[in-house]
Amino acid sequence: MRKQTVIFLSIVLTICMGLVILSSLAFAKEVAYLSLADYTGPIAGLNVPADMGLEDYIKDFNAKGGVDGVKIKFIGIDTRYDVARAVSAYKRYRRTPRLLVVNSISTGIGKAVARLIERDKRLQLVPGDGEFQAHIQRTFIWGPAYQDAFAATLDWIMADWKAKGKSGTPVVGYLSWDNPYGREHLRGGKEYAEKLGIKFLRPEFFPPGSLKHDVYLTRLAKAGANYIHAGGVDPTPTNVIRDAHALGITKNIQMTCDYWGPTALGIGVHAKALEGTVITSFYQRGEESRNNSFVTDLWKKHRGSMDKFNEVYGMGMSWGMTYVAGLKVALKAVGYDNLKPDDMYKAYQKITGFDKHGIQGVCAYSPTSRRGSLEVKIYRVKNGKIIPITDWRKAPDAVSLHKF
Amino acid sequence: MKIIKVVFLFVIIPSLVLGAISCQTLQSAVGPKAKLEVSPAETFLSPALIRKPVTFTGSGFAPDEMITVEMVLPSGMKMKGLKEGENVVGIAVGNSDGKGNFKAAMKPIATLNWFFQVGWTPLLKPNFKEAKPIPPGVYKITATGLDSDRVGTSSLKIVPPPKKKK
Repeated sequence: MRKQTVIFLSIVLTICMGLVILSSLAFAKEVAYLSLADYTGPIAGLNVPADMGLEDYIKDFNAKGGVDGVKIKFIGIDTRYDVARAVSAYKRYRRTPRLLVVNSISTGIGKAVARLIERDKRLQLVPGDGEFQAHIQRTFIWGPAYQDAFAATLDWIMADWKAKGKSGTPVVGYLSWDNPYGREHLRGGKEYAEKLGIKFLRPEFFPPGSLKHDVYLTRLAKAGANYIHAGGVDPTPTNVIRDAHALGITKNIQMTCDYWGPTALGIGVHAKALEGTVITSFYQRGEESRNNSFVTDLWKKHRGSMDKFNEVYGMGMSWGMTYVAGLKVALKAVGYDNLKPDDMYKAYQKITGFDKHGIQGVCAYSPTSRRGSLEVKIYRVKNGKIIPITDWRKAPDAVSLHKF
Repeated sequence: MKIIKVVFLFVIIPSLVLGAISCQTLQSAVGPKAKLEVSPAETFLSPALIRKPVTFTGSGFAPDEMITVEMVLPSGMKMKGLKEGENVVGIAVGNSDGKGNFKAAMKPIATLNWFFQVGWTPLLKPNFKEAKPIPPGVYKITATGLDSDRVGTSSLKIVPPPKKKK
């Protein structure tokens, strides 16, 4: 009987030890990052390289041991740019232990998920929706708001107009996608144009997927536009300018774009048509990005040849860097065992001034700011390359001009 | 032998009882009253679904909550954009009114992505050459209240397209 008891107890002890080992493996110190991204849908062309930058940055971070042994689990979901899929995916992952940040890669998805983020006391990142700066909550934007960047473009337009020796103020046209993203720029941007005395033509909106943009461009040209701002995520602005070039419009009208304007993707196909295009960006573009060794070293390490390099890769790295900076603050404040999504939300408001290795301006998140950075740089397509024509400059606060 | 009996009495039986209780609790949290209707309940895949999409109406949800409508894929079915083993895809989203009723329709992008499984050209146009329409069959549809966790279920029957007259 005694022998049987000893055997039984030994078995129980072995099982218990096994369970302890297994549970320690299963519960390795880990925090999660959810990317509601588009890998095979309409904006995959830019989203894929951006998430590559993020994933590679996380891989390196984890390989170096993380923060005090805490590693990041990257969860990438292909929403195919569909709000319904994104909301469903968020439902699936919202109870993931220590899911600290959700990056919603679409203005529409961000708006839909924001409500759930508030309920779950979590933190969300979205592209550039100024509404989240106007009504401070738990959603943060990647850089300056769309309307801020558009206002910076208008400042450049005014300066360019004067530099050309023209009198009065220029006439500016705007065309973009007929969706929340396309309209967001004007919620404050339009007011800024009025403030500068610019004659702002009735904006033109077209459905994503339009094959030709001649009708809209012709209407703006006939209305007397001196400058036309082409929205949409690359390759859309590239295709709009391709059409403008084919119509002969670019000879007399200066084309401008926002921060999703032509990247290596568009330049690779329509360099000639894009010549002279002006791009306002919150992240490093073109040659500058290709010369940032902090970015290119990681690319070469994980992706090899620079042939397929796209500058949004650096922007993706910037998301990872910001996450790590926030994680350090959150862990220092509460430790791993007590770490909740709300602690990351608090931490993001404390990383003001965090440096991003030249990829974009310093972090501007704070208790009163949801902007990822305040600065933009103006670039121009010259000889098939994207070259900076200004230094970093603070974008005007156009959000505050609009009543949301 | 005695020890085994003791383990059985004090560990296994209580675990089974607790498990049954928690299932019961879960069932009540989910709420049996939420209802869902799919319209049309039976259809074939055609571009007409872009203009006249499949719609969903529901009741019995919490007031003013977000509702996610999802399609459950049969075991082994693969879908563009879904990971291996993922068998649920969101196809519509809506909000309940003050009485817990909701109505939502599939957006064109959802119909294109999840019914037709189209590709996308660099011009952001759906590419039907790469399309892989989902096979005919009966698909379970669920609507879940994202505050209340209440679930309404129904089904959508996809039938083969009618044969063209010669």
